[in-house]
Amino acid sequence: MRFLCSLVLLSFLLLLPARGQLAPAKKATPVPSPFTATVKPVLQTNCSMCHNAKLASGGLSLDNLDATTLETQRIAWERIVAKLKSGEMPPKGAPQPVPDKRTSVVEFLEKSFDAADRSRPPDAGRVLARRLNRAEYANTIRDVLGVRIKAEEELPADDSILGFDNIGEVLTVSPLLMQKYVYTAEKVASLAIGADPLPKPAVVEYKAEKVRRLDLGATEHTDHLDYSADYLVRVWVRGHLGPNGAPVSLRLLVDGQPVRTMDVPTKENETATVARDAQRSHHEARVYLEAGPHSFRAELVGDEFRKPVPPPPAPGGNQSAQQPLLIYPEKFDMQGPFPPAGGARASRSRILTCDPATGGPACVRQIMTPLARRAYRRPVTSAEVDKLVAIAGKATAAGFKPDQAVQFAIQAMLVQPAFLFRIERDPKGRMAPISDIELASRLSYFLWSSAPDEELLSLAEGNKLRKPGVLEGQVTRMLADPKSIALAENFAGQWLETRSLAAVKPDPVRFPMWNAALADDLQAETKLFFDSLLRENKPVSEFLTADYTFLNARLARHYGIKGVTGPDFQRIPVDPAQRGGILSHGSILTLTSYPARTSPVLRGKYIMDVILGSPPPPPPADVPALDESKATSPASLREALSLHRSDAVCASCHSKMDPLGFGLENYDPIGRWRIADGKTPIEAGGTLPNGVTFTTPAELRALLLKDLPEFTRNLTEKMLTYALGRGLERFDRPAIRDITSKMEKSEYRFQVLVREIVTSLPFQNRRGQLADTQATAAITRDTK
Amino acid sequence: MIITKKTLNRRTLLRGLGAAVALPMLDAMSPAFAASPSGPIRAAWFYVPNGIDMRNWVIPEPGPLTSLPPILKPLESLKSELLVLSNLTANWGRPHLVGAGDHGRALAAYMTGSFVHQSVSNLKLGISADQIIASEVGRQTALPSLEIGLEETRQAGNCDNGYSCAYAYNMSWRTPTQPMPPVSAPRALFERLFGADNFTSPEDRARRLAMRRSILDSVLESTQTIQASLGPVDRRKLDEYLTSVREVEQQVARAEKDGVVIDPGMEKPFGVPAEFGDYFKLMTDMLFVAFKADVTRVATVMIGREGSNRPYPEIGISDSHHPITHHQKNPVLLDKITAINTYHAKLFGGFLQKLKDTPEGDSNMLANSMIVYGSGLSDGDTHLHDELPTILAGRGGNFFTPGRHVMYQRETPVTNLFATMAQRMGVRSEHIGDSTGRLAELSLS
Repeated sequence: MRFLCSLVLLSFLLLLPARGQLAPAKKATPVPSPFTATVKPVLQTNCSMCHNAKLASGGLSLDNLDATTLETQRIAWERIVAKLKSGEMPPKGAPQPVPDKRTSVVEFLEKSFDAADRSRPPDAGRVLARRLNRAEYANTIRDVLGVRIKAEEELPADDSILGFDNIGEVLTVSPLLMQKYVYTAEKVASLAIGADPLPKPAVVEYKAEKVRRLDLGATEHTDHLDYSADYLVRVWVRGHLGPNGAPVSLRLLVDGQPVRTMDVPTKENETATVARDAQRSHHEARVYLEAGPHSFRAELVGDEFRKPVPPPPAPGGNQSAQQPLLIYPEKFDMQGPFPPAGGARASRSRILTCDPATGGPACVRQIMTPLARRAYRRPVTSAEVDKLVAIAGKATAAGFKPDQAVQFAIQAMLVQPAFLFRIERDPKGRMAPISDIELASRLSYFLWSSAPDEELLSLAEGNKLRKPGVLEGQVTRMLADPKSIALAENFAGQWLETRSLAAVKPDPVRFPMWNAALADDLQAETKLFFDSLLRENKPVSEFLTADYTFLNARLARHYGIKGVTGPDFQRIPVDPAQRGGILSHGSILTLTSYPARTSPVLRGKYIMDVILGSPPPPPPADVPALDESKATSPASLREALSLHRSDAVCASCHSKMDPLGFGLENYDPIGRWRIADGKTPIEAGGTLPNGVTFTTPAELRALLLKDLPEFTRNLTEKMLTYALGRGLERFDRPAIRDITSKMEKSEYRFQVLVREIVTSLPFQNRRGQLADTQATAAITRDTK
Repeated sequence: MIITKKTLNRRTLLRGLGAAVALPMLDAMSPAFAASPSGPIRAAWFYVPNGIDMRNWVIPEPGPLTSLPPILKPLESLKSELLVLSNLTANWGRPHLVGAGDHGRALAAYMTGSFVHQSVSNLKLGISADQIIASEVGRQTALPSLEIGLEETRQAGNCDNGYSCAYAYNMSWRTPTQPMPPVSAPRALFERLFGADNFTSPEDRARRLAMRRSILDSVLESTQTIQASLGPVDRRKLDEYLTSVREVEQQVARAEKDGVVIDPGMEKPFGVPAEFGDYFKLMTDMLFVAFKADVTRVATVMIGREGSNRPYPEIGISDSHHPITHHQKNPVLLDKITAINTYHAKLFGGFLQKLKDTPEGDSNMLANSMIVYGSGLSDGDTHLHDELPTILAGRGGNFFTPGRHVMYQRETPVTNLFATMAQRMGVRSEHIGDSTGRLAELSLS
């Protein structure tokens, strides 16, 4: 028993706040009998042999406790509930309470917490004035002006806290960012109207050393273009020998899309007779390209070219033994910019509803009024429009053309605080519903990461959003809109951390097949999976268990799944013995590995933290990390990690974390199924702290399904945080419980979660000025 | 030595220094010298993440630099320009009573010398040395300071045991709550330095800059109108925005006045070079141009974020950097750390060499600079925040006497070095975070 007590000692020291002793509050109220009847006997029989004043295992003593501490020592009590619920406490080997009693203790305590939370006056909290983050900025520009920009090329990354980059506190505006906003506004306005004259065309060469040879017959390069215009792309093909002497055709692709296919001569010319291999021919295509980054690929058509480039001959080797050089695209050059042959762009004609050349300031006003309303996401005052019209006036006075003047007005609009910030007003009372206009923005930035569209904004302006059935109908409409992919991209990408996949660099020696395309595919799989669960309103349990996933040919090949063809992603059933749910997605499995090997610790931590929402506490200070890297094989890794569980300090967390991670050992560091690592067979089993064992990933999945309520609570908290753009507080708990119990009653359907969030108290309301006054008064009272 | 301008009372200065520091008659006491006739003085910091393999860094005895330890070997030809400084400490990187989170703290505490508030949402730190300098001398250049980071992607969430990612990603802090995020995309750095503009003529440039200023003016106006109707917290949020708008406006105003367009001497870059060495060179080449054209005089370069997981396949290291540094004295891992450390030193040497090879007035750019190279951790395995690896390169305008190894008393704050540099730049405030004075023995003259 001594050992059992000491085993948990340090873990509790960590879990409890500094003053973690459960001491009764000063003014003891009479102990309610249910507490004495239900909780106390179990604690006395099963807990206090370690957690008493003398031993105080883990710094926790249960002596002298009564019901008043439920409130005063809430955090500690919640830890107790969590440990009881998961079966981690009492530890294996110690006398256990009968299951019924355990359940009734947990239920009683959870009900008490809920009752306590609900006895307080409701508080909706307050969302800070929030700057649009990078994704929201780009989407809003797209929806308001019809201009697409690659935000990650234009703007620096946003800081994130609590796992998301849409939280007000850290959406700061540095001078660097402001400078970027000014430049980006200029660029966007010019893309939208296209009034600026193009500079004189020039030629840029992309020589052989600047391009990338993909295989025997394909070469690629990337560049960033400063103007939306026509360009002449020219491919230089070197050599003249086609395979089998057959004629060859060359295909030019821009951003992965075929643009033109051209015949290439394979007849020997004069150069070839003088200097072998020096013969070149060029082939060109004129294309319209938007300003921004583009990739250009020239490839010779045919399977015989889809082979790796042989290494260059060793120096001093027999040159004549070398294979004759096959024809291949060697380099590019590009001429431009030329005025677009296709005429005016769509955004221009949509925005210019009158001709500013003849219509003067009245026309500018006519153009800017509806634009500003959409960009500011609310009705605009005439003073606000005046400001933009004045800018256009200044531009005209400075000698700019009338359509350029409109461009400047748009620029000015895009750096206004009304555009860059989402601002809500504090209502007067303690708490009040936000306005329909504010609600419309909350809704559209939650579901679309973008501004309200015309329909939503008009409803809000008419104060019709809260009329019966309207909000419900809007949510349905908005989820069905393709724009709701934003939830998969921005919410799921951050919740599941798959956004970080681009930064992961598996060992290129062990995993030469890893490249950016594969990383993109893996990310797409998880994104499409999330999107389909939401769109099809599936139960959220499918995150853990779904027997299908989304694959294209390349990713299927990576996973070793046969019968998938083509570059497009399709829904594919998977073998449940090998895969199922997101924990078998290569994206997540790669994220939670080191470059050259898997890490059961990282994977176990991921399950506890990201999936179940109970992150293990940080390792204690001055305890060195266990050196996983010394392990040269999975067997020795298992042995090395067993130290985690024999050491009392580490065991409290690792006894759960490590087995969970070992349950995913059948997946290699880039997510492929394996039954052995080298010569060592994989052992994917483990025993959880509550004594339950499993031997395969499928069994682990089944076990995790038992934690569905925990998973749902976590998903709810994460999504509510994202929807509100602020951290959750204690006063949000009733809302969270209401949402999760609704979920429970609706088969855990995914859209129920979204609807319940939208109608929840914190989403619909805002803390008022009076709450501040009262809080200040309370502080003054307390300090007197 | 003669003080030509009476700006600092010698006694005022002494009061802030404590008895331990011998006080030479610093010519920086007179800002008149800050911009010496041979060129402006610049300060830069290069931060190395995850500590250093100290086995191959430490020089046992103080004195002239003779043979350099293995990690510093690539700097052999620059030896006469280096001061290796031992025993400096970043006290606020230590756990004190808080616990784990050493990486987040190490970077945050390094330049600020301040307590790092453990939080993922409520940032609280101090003002970093470069920003203290920039706030005083920055007005003389187009950009008050430049922040460069050689690691691109931000990881979502809590970065190090309850410490916000902001701590591990930003070495430069403008206020205790506002980090200065570094630029990591080469193209973004290029545009920050040389503008994103494609002006067709000088007249076009002039009228477009004037338009830009009008637009910013109108923004300032409308922000003030909005602010009046906001609660106190939101008002602060908009204040921050207002400050940034003003700064950009000043830049525009300066650009209008100067009418000079800097020739960067390179093509506008695109993407991030695949090899770290090329990336390092590209970014520091731009820093070089920025210094040379006097676009800025203050810069920080984060070679990697603290806790960096970058592998270095080009030197045969395919493992992530951070896990390797938990070496547990395993010689194989230690050798890998040395290889990474040596690689960084070599790249740093390339930058120094470029400064040295560029004549300026009667000396060269390196002689007019003060470039710190170091880390907020010595041993990355046990997370030691003292005996920090520190180099000061350059002569700060023929002021320092390099070519030596100086050993200070243990626990000397590394911010004392930064305070000395700040003084040399003509900064009036005496303290940088926890600094207790200025470093002696940097100059023998």
